[in-house]
Amino acid sequence: MAVTRKQLRAAAAVLVLLAAVAAVLAPGAALNAGSLALLALYSTIRMALAFILSLVFAVAFGTAAATSKRAGEVLIPILDILQSVPILAFFPPALLFFYYSLGGSAVGEEFAVIFLIFTSMAWNMAFGVYEALTTLPGDLKEAASVFGVRDWLRFRRLFFPATIPKLVYNSMLSWTVGWFYLVASEAISSGSLNLERPGLGSFIFAAGQRGDVPAILLGIGALAVVVLLLDTFLWRPLSVWSERFRMEQTAGGPTTRTTAPYERLRWLPRFPRIRRWLSARLAPLAKGWNRAASPLDHYYVSHPKLVRTVRWVDLAMFLVILVSVVVTGVVGIAAILTSPMPALAGEIPAAIAASLGRLGLAYASALAWTIPVAAWVVQSPRASRFVTPFLEVVASIPATALFPLIIAFAVLAVGAFGLEAELSAYMVALFAMQWYLLFNLIAGMRSIPGDMREAAKVFGLRGRIYWKRVLLPAIMPSLLTGSITAWGAGWNALIVAEYISYAGHVYRVGAGIGYLIAYSTYTPGDQGRLLLLSVLALVVVVLAMNKLLWRPIIKRASTRFRIEIQ
Amino acid sequence: MTAGSLILEVKHVSKSYSENGKEFRVLEDVSFEIHDRDFICIVGPSGCGKSTLLREIVGLDLPTSGEIRFEGKPVQAENPRISMVFQSFALFPWLTVLENVELGLEAHKVPEEERRGKAKKYIDAVGLAGFENAYPRELSGGMKQRVGIARALVMDPTLLCMDEPFSALDALTAQNLRDEILQLWTNPDIPPSAVLMVTHSIDEAVYLADRIVAMSPRPGRIVKIESVDLPRPRNRKEPEFYGWVDEIYSLIV
Repeated sequence: MAVTRKQLRAAAAVLVLLAAVAAVLAPGAALNAGSLALLALYSTIRMALAFILSLVFAVAFGTAAATSKRAGEVLIPILDILQSVPILAFFPPALLFFYYSLGGSAVGEEFAVIFLIFTSMAWNMAFGVYEALTTLPGDLKEAASVFGVRDWLRFRRLFFPATIPKLVYNSMLSWTVGWFYLVASEAISSGSLNLERPGLGSFIFAAGQRGDVPAILLGIGALAVVVLLLDTFLWRPLSVWSERFRMEQTAGGPTTRTTAPYERLRWLPRFPRIRRWLSARLAPLAKGWNRAASPLDHYYVSHPKLVRTVRWVDLAMFLVILVSVVVTGVVGIAAILTSPMPALAGEIPAAIAASLGRLGLAYASALAWTIPVAAWVVQSPRASRFVTPFLEVVASIPATALFPLIIAFAVLAVGAFGLEAELSAYMVALFAMQWYLLFNLIAGMRSIPGDMREAAKVFGLRGRIYWKRVLLPAIMPSLLTGSITAWGAGWNALIVAEYISYAGHVYRVGAGIGYLIAYSTYTPGDQGRLLLLSVLALVVVVLAMNKLLWRPIIKRASTRFRIEIQ
Repeated sequence: MTAGSLILEVKHVSKSYSENGKEFRVLEDVSFEIHDRDFICIVGPSGCGKSTLLREIVGLDLPTSGEIRFEGKPVQAENPRISMVFQSFALFPWLTVLENVELGLEAHKVPEEERRGKAKKYIDAVGLAGFENAYPRELSGGMKQRVGIARALVMDPTLLCMDEPFSALDALTAQNLRDEILQLWTNPDIPPSAVLMVTHSIDEAVYLADRIVAMSPRPGRIVKIESVDLPRPRNRKEPEFYGWVDEIYSLIV
């Protein structure tokens, strides 16, 4: 269902018209458009570097955790904790390591920004690799073993290919999250220090500070264009290609598919000529990699000493990570215990409760609209044809870039009652959560087998009983997946949502853990202990929710439904 | 019938797992021998430990007690002289037919041209010429198992182990493949020297095997080893064939 050339032309015309209107209304902003392209390029390169780092980290970490039971016992809890640490908490150490250690140079700033984006991309990818390898069919591992496929060759021929579907899926997710935090990361402030690197994120942030609405819109538009271009030319082709690496469900016979699974971005133009040109250029690259890698196979096998050295280096690195995590934790807790409690520490429990309520409300409203919309989109192909592209474009705009618009709306709606900060925090949380629910639900409803639908029709199941007996049980697994991802995103979003600085004015909620963390990060003076305490409290809450709420639900649900957590 | 030289000895092999402090005995005192030109089927109801036994012979698993010797030495994992065909085919979905067949040779550092030639020879032998560049998902179940067989044969194994190789296939395809396996086996240009197959189908065992190792359920014990002296090609409709099926059936139930 590719978009026709006619539709493309129409879309391009609308864009040009919009640009022209913007140029007439704000000539200054239009002059910026040229430099905007450059800023977009900077941001994309920054994202790409952080992504490459995340990829290397995820593959190494995930493989180590999945292939060695002992390493897994240490690494997976570490990853669990890292994933639940809010990205803002990485600001001070990032600055410390990269900015000050490099003498406050531009290179140091750049490193700090890239590291921050890395912290928003890497963890879920590492989990993806780990899950792909732990669910690898045992007979494939046995076959590799019987035929003597070991070490490097086994990684190249078995482990790495097996991770590709989950890796590509999680990479798309990571880029979405990365764009979300780009806006926060390109303009870092901690205490009295403010850093700004040129990019789309800092452009939108600065425009927000000035309250320059045309510039904000321009920035958001540019961001959307970049995201869609990458989707068209990178992620959509990659996700199609990654299907080849998916395990088959049934052993015997050719695989039969009752319904087409939900693919995101189906509607994007395919540009077959460009794609063919690209794959022709890329084929020698893949061949070259194979040719370069195969002597390595032999070298690796014929030098057992090298293998042992590599393993020792691996082990040493894990030990360093482990020791540094433990030492940081112990030192931090000791610092908290030995010194008087910071003044605001007493607010933490109430702040957590307020944030939990805010997220619960956002989650409930997201559920309330996504379930019916998903059902509607799946039932009506015509609706899907026009609504899906629209939803996916809107979803591609990170909520952080929408701050100015959200605040303007909130001030207009409830400013009279002084609730604008509450409403905007709720809206940012809603925007951060809803898309994970929506797209997982659409995927879940699409994957209901055709014969099950037909059986429901034959037996006259309609209305409430159809929802209760067919639809809801069938979407349970994807609802759970979507909910877990949504809550993870929600917690992280709160940190940037409960304390927003816009047009010289600070919008802060009455109480919230995100506000406390943001406050202790941005406010000059020694707020280190408050930051540490709030982050610790948040990590404990997130971990507790995962272990005490989601884990048992998944366990119970997986006996009744087939659960695949992506 | 004169037995060829000794290839594999299974001596007093037992296997037990412990789960939640309770011990489960899977195999108990299993002993038999495989000689050159043997076609042996291990038959038994599900849960008799026959697949565990096969995994120990290939070196994927270790017996709790007893010993398995291959060509006079204790078996080791990754022995290229023992090859295996899997029930679920266990093909690598991201590799082509040719790459799947070549993989074992690649692991054993066979130069590229030599392994390509060998792989092509066995792809032809199993009737898949022209499908070298196809991916497993594009093949039917029968064709996938042909790839599995070619992948095993290309290693020039002395002993070919097969774990219920036809039970994931439909009846017609399975019968075709059984005949082809027999044909390949009688071809002197093509290894292996001996075949060891695990199956739960008595009919299949009587159709294929020279000797049948009949096993009892939980813990798996050898009830009897029978030499099937029916002339080949065997005909399922003959009373002698039935006689054998009935006899084996009465042994294991």
